[in-house]
Amino acid sequence: MSEATGLELHPLESALRGLKQRFADAVIDADRNSMREHLVVVPGARLREVAAAVHREWGGTLVTAFALDERERHGRFRLHYLFSMAPDDAVLTLIAALPGDDPRFPSVTPEVHAAHWLEREMQDLMGVTADGHPDPRPLVAHDGWPRGCHPLRRDFAPPAGISWPPRFGFTPVEGDGVFEIPVGPIHAGIIEPGHFRFSSVGEAILKLDVRLAWKYRGLETLARGQPAARVLEIAERACGLCAFSHALAFSSAVEEAAGVMAPPRARALRSLAAELERLYNHCGDLAGVLLDVAYAVGAAEGQRLKEVVQQAADALFGHRFLRGLCVPGGVTRDLDDAQQQWLRDVLGTVRADVEALVRAATSNAAVMDRLVGAGALGPDAARDLGVVGPAARASGFDRDVRRTHPYAFYRDLDFQVPVRAEGDVSARFAVKADEIHESINLVDQMLLHLPGGLLIAERVVPPAGRAGLGMVESPRGLLSHWVRAGEGGAIDEWRMRSASHANWPAVAIAVLDNIVPDFPLVNKSFNLCYACVDR
Amino acid sequence: MWEILVRSLRQGVVTGKSAAPLPADLAPAPRAAEAEIEVLGQALQAEIRGRFRRSMKLRHVDCGSCNGCESELQALLNPFYDLQRFGIDFVASPRHADALMVTGPPALHLEEALRLTDEATPRPRLVVAVGDCACTGGFCAGSFATRRGIEEVLAVDVRIPGCPPRPEAIVRALLKALRG
Repeated sequence: MSEATGLELHPLESALRGLKQRFADAVIDADRNSMREHLVVVPGARLREVAAAVHREWGGTLVTAFALDERERHGRFRLHYLFSMAPDDAVLTLIAALPGDDPRFPSVTPEVHAAHWLEREMQDLMGVTADGHPDPRPLVAHDGWPRGCHPLRRDFAPPAGISWPPRFGFTPVEGDGVFEIPVGPIHAGIIEPGHFRFSSVGEAILKLDVRLAWKYRGLETLARGQPAARVLEIAERACGLCAFSHALAFSSAVEEAAGVMAPPRARALRSLAAELERLYNHCGDLAGVLLDVAYAVGAAEGQRLKEVVQQAADALFGHRFLRGLCVPGGVTRDLDDAQQQWLRDVLGTVRADVEALVRAATSNAAVMDRLVGAGALGPDAARDLGVVGPAARASGFDRDVRRTHPYAFYRDLDFQVPVRAEGDVSARFAVKADEIHESINLVDQMLLHLPGGLLIAERVVPPAGRAGLGMVESPRGLLSHWVRAGEGGAIDEWRMRSASHANWPAVAIAVLDNIVPDFPLVNKSFNLCYACVDR
Repeated sequence: MWEILVRSLRQGVVTGKSAAPLPADLAPAPRAAEAEIEVLGQALQAEIRGRFRRSMKLRHVDCGSCNGCESELQALLNPFYDLQRFGIDFVASPRHADALMVTGPPALHLEEALRLTDEATPRPRLVVAVGDCACTGGFCAGSFATRRGIEEVLAVDVRIPGCPPRPEAIVRALLKALRG
């Protein structure tokens, strides 16, 4: 764990020691929030240089960053920057206080590029200013938001009768033969809304400006001060297809704040359900890629397999998106022996069918001609942008929360994490195909060793003021939920960052120099959500 | 590819069937839905034959849903439900649509897009609120950034509650609307 071992290669230990030596004058306080999370308080003015050192010298990768409004009680805003210190199961959180009347700080983005969207979001939602941010345009706030409208401030009062016409300063690209192609927010298929502005010459994409936040529903504002059960309802509905991962990350965060651990059987069933969710997502993703290269047989087969797994989830746990299964403290449903045997049989046929599908697709020259080389994201760009999940692993960036920060039952399970180097559409396709195989292996293992006992811990009430962090490898990658408890077990503050939030900036890089007609394919190979990014 | 085709021939069509039916003694098994699709679909086809000259076209408009409703609308086109065989399809342009399938509370950011999409849809057209959010604002009701249902922006003809509504519930509601 995080205890001192004296090894130089121990990232957390090197970072903590390095901070004491190099930044002795900057470290105001150092503490622990949990076994895993280490807090280091620095002055706002030094945040950028300390974050740069944690990231570059000690290998910290940014999990999330957010701002809290503490003006009421302490007259200040507070920033949290959470770094995963993998391979240690440890998180190093840099905390900086900003004066309530002038909340400015040196933007971390020039040094840690993964903070790009997070800081733009903080500027919109909390009204703090990241000085020197390379792209300070609004992200969530569409033009037409009234001045001083910062929904995450605790004294936020929604302006009456506002209308928000969407206007946005897109980055112009000028030159001979350059033209702009605007696409969205309403698209041609049954898909979510986003606006894409291509600047292109002929068919080649020179620049892609992605404009999201169309679905902004103010979820974190809506959750403030609500009972945990209500925030769970909101968390589960932040994203339809990753609903279980959200419920799991939120529940883990509440459990950490309460100092409670779910019973072993609950943890095993959580891992099992998380793998089912990965299965139906990945089957759908394979179908999506094949649909976009007009390989109809493969697309229909992928959609069929997604439906098979969703029907199994429904039959066993009562919901096609596994909602209502995971709650703080444990799970609400059990599997008896006959159901376990049935699930094993169903997944056995799914495994064989996915293998046949992948064989058919990858041996088809017309399919592979489109997949190979399209939308390549290099390993350096993937690391630099802090890409997560299958997208990272397809670009040679080997990271998986299940292995580095084990939750649920993963510490006791044996599994491979498929990694490819190419970073193109075919690599993302192959990684997801291999992960389907591993997920079914994982479910089989859990069914063999399903521990007995309770399904739910009796009492999960975090003491007021306690904070907790939940990190989960959702189908699209690292998902984090952070909560701070209020009075009587209510959730005082809740912050969430989905995998798609981390990966969207990479899509805009991966499509460069590709042709416009390949954009849907490249986009589908990432298959990112919009709802849990916009929130 | 032949492997998939040969297996399909061996297995027979999956359309209208359950993926892998739970044995009868295994509870819970809310699995009457698949057979129901056949009955509902054929009734729907009869309505569409009479009133839409065999072909009813839907246009989906996402106004801030969680993507759950989208997933279920997409599922209607997968080999299990295969709604196209009854004369229903989703189209790329509102100008080709007989009905708008609207999801989401709606989010304020998308209100303008919803209005413009509706204006582009030729009359007569049905406005269908798909899912709890679209019907009442759902779990978002009370958020400053959303409305309490599509009704606050457009007059709604059909409401399909559910979070998200199951694929067969969507078909049932469409049938009810056409008959009503």
